[in-house]
Amino acid sequence: MNQIINISNGQLLLALLFIVIAQASSFIYHLGLNRDITIGTIRTFAQLFLMGYVLTFILKSSNIWLILCVFMVMVVSAMFIVKGRVKEHQIPYIVPTFLTMVISYFATALFVSGLIVGITPWWEPRYFIPAGGMVIGNSMSALAIALERLFKDLREQKELVEMKLTLGANYREASDDIFRKAVTAGMIPSINAMMGVGLVFIPGMMSGQILAGTDPLIAIRYQIVVMLMLVGSTAITSIVVMLFVRRRCFGSGEEVLLSSR
Amino acid sequence: MTPLLEIRNLCFRYEEAASLVFDNLNLTVCEGEFILVKGLSGSGKSTLLRIICRLNRQIRGDIFFEGNNITTIAPAKLRSVISYVAQIPQMIDASVEENLLLPFSFAANTSKCRPAKEELREMLQKFYLTDVALNQSALKLSIGQKQRLAIMRALLQKPLLLLLDEPTSALDQESASMVFSIMECLNTEQGKTLITVTHIDYKPREVLPLTYTLAARKLHLSL
Repeated sequence: MNQIINISNGQLLLALLFIVIAQASSFIYHLGLNRDITIGTIRTFAQLFLMGYVLTFILKSSNIWLILCVFMVMVVSAMFIVKGRVKEHQIPYIVPTFLTMVISYFATALFVSGLIVGITPWWEPRYFIPAGGMVIGNSMSALAIALERLFKDLREQKELVEMKLTLGANYREASDDIFRKAVTAGMIPSINAMMGVGLVFIPGMMSGQILAGTDPLIAIRYQIVVMLMLVGSTAITSIVVMLFVRRRCFGSGEEVLLSSR
Repeated sequence: MTPLLEIRNLCFRYEEAASLVFDNLNLTVCEGEFILVKGLSGSGKSTLLRIICRLNRQIRGDIFFEGNNITTIAPAKLRSVISYVAQIPQMIDASVEENLLLPFSFAANTSKCRPAKEELREMLQKFYLTDVALNQSALKLSIGQKQRLAIMRALLQKPLLLLLDEPTSALDQESASMVFSIMECLNTEQGKTLITVTHIDYKPREVLPLTYTLAARKLHLSL
C-alpha cells in the first residue's frame, strides 16, 4: 500500500499527450502560443531533472555555505523573473527589492525550519531548501503583481496624485490608495489559495507527501504551516518592498518621478 | 521688504539632452501682487508654476519663498502655503464637500481651521456654483464647475500664494468670464497674491496686473 509506483520513461512520454492537445488548440485557434508551449515543455523537463540531480546532491550535504549558496541562487533567479515581468526603466527598484527578498525569505525559512519544525541544525537542507523554495516562488509572483500595479497606477493617476500633493499631502498621503491596491493585488492569490485549499485543490506538497507514504494527518500539519508561511511572507515582503519602492517613485521635493505614458 | 517669492537665475530642461526651457530666468513677486504670465503654447508657462511648487525640479538657480530657499522647506508644508491649481482640474471620486475638505485630511493642514458647511455653501455662491449641492458627486460636474471648485478648494487652505495654470483654457466664454472675475476679486477684495499663466488674450477689468511674456527662455515685463 505504501509503496511508491515509479513513472517509467515511456509513461513520462505518454504525459506529453497533454502538450499535443495544447499545441493543437493553439494551432487551430491561432493563439500564437506554440513556440511558448514548446519552450515551456523543454524547460520543464530540463529544469526539473537538473534540479532533481542537484537536490539529490544538496540534500545529502552537511555544508552550511553550500545550502546558503543554493538559497541565494534561488533568490537571484526570482529577482530576474520579477525584473523580466515588471519592465520598469525609470525607477531603480532592483536593489531594495532584492535586499528585502533576501532578508524576508531567509527569516521565514529560518523561522519555519528552525522554530516551527524545530529541526537541528536549522539549515538542514531537507527542510530549509523546500521551505525557502516555496516562500520564494510564492512571494515572487506576489511581488511582480504588486510592483507592476504600483508603477501602472502611479503613471495612470499621476495628475490625481499631484493634485493631492499640491493640496499639502506628503507623498505617502498622496499615494496611499495606490499603495494599498498594489499590496492587495499581490496578496489576493495567496489568500484565495487559503480559501480553496482542501476544497478546490489539494496542494502539491501535501499530495507529494501522501504519495510518498506519509500519514495524511502529518502531511496536513505541514501543509497548514506552509499555507500560513506563504501568506505571512507574501505580506511582509510585499509591504516592505512597496514601502521602499514607493519612496523611490518620488523625488527629494516629493514630486512624482514617473512620467505619464 | 522681503519679497514673497523670488526666482534667481532659474535654468530648466525636460531631459538631459534637451535644450534649455529657462535660461537664467528671474522673477520677483511681492505680497498682494497680481502677476500675469503670457506666452505661446509650449513656452514653459505651466512648467514655471510647477517648479515654484516643486512638482518639477530645476537644474540650476534658486527660488526663495518669504526669504527661505524652497528646498529647505518640507514639500508638504510649502504646498500648504503655495497652492497650485492645474490646467485640468482633478477631483476624487467623492462628494463636492469631501473634495473641498480633502486638504484638511493631510497632516500639513491639520492646524488649519476646517470650514463649516455654511461657509462652504456661501463660498459656492461666490464662485457662481449656486446650482451645486455639497452632497452631489464632484465627478459629475462640468469642466467649468470643476475648475471653479478646484480654485475654491485651493483657497480654503488660505494659501499665501495662489498659482493658476491656464484656468480658463478648457472653458466656454461664460465660464471663463466667471473665473476671471473670481481671480480679480481674490486680488482686489482679499489681497491674495496670484500668479496666473495664460496663452489667451486676457485683459483684467478691475485690476492692473504685472504682465510678463515668457519668450526666448526668459520673462520680459510688458509695459
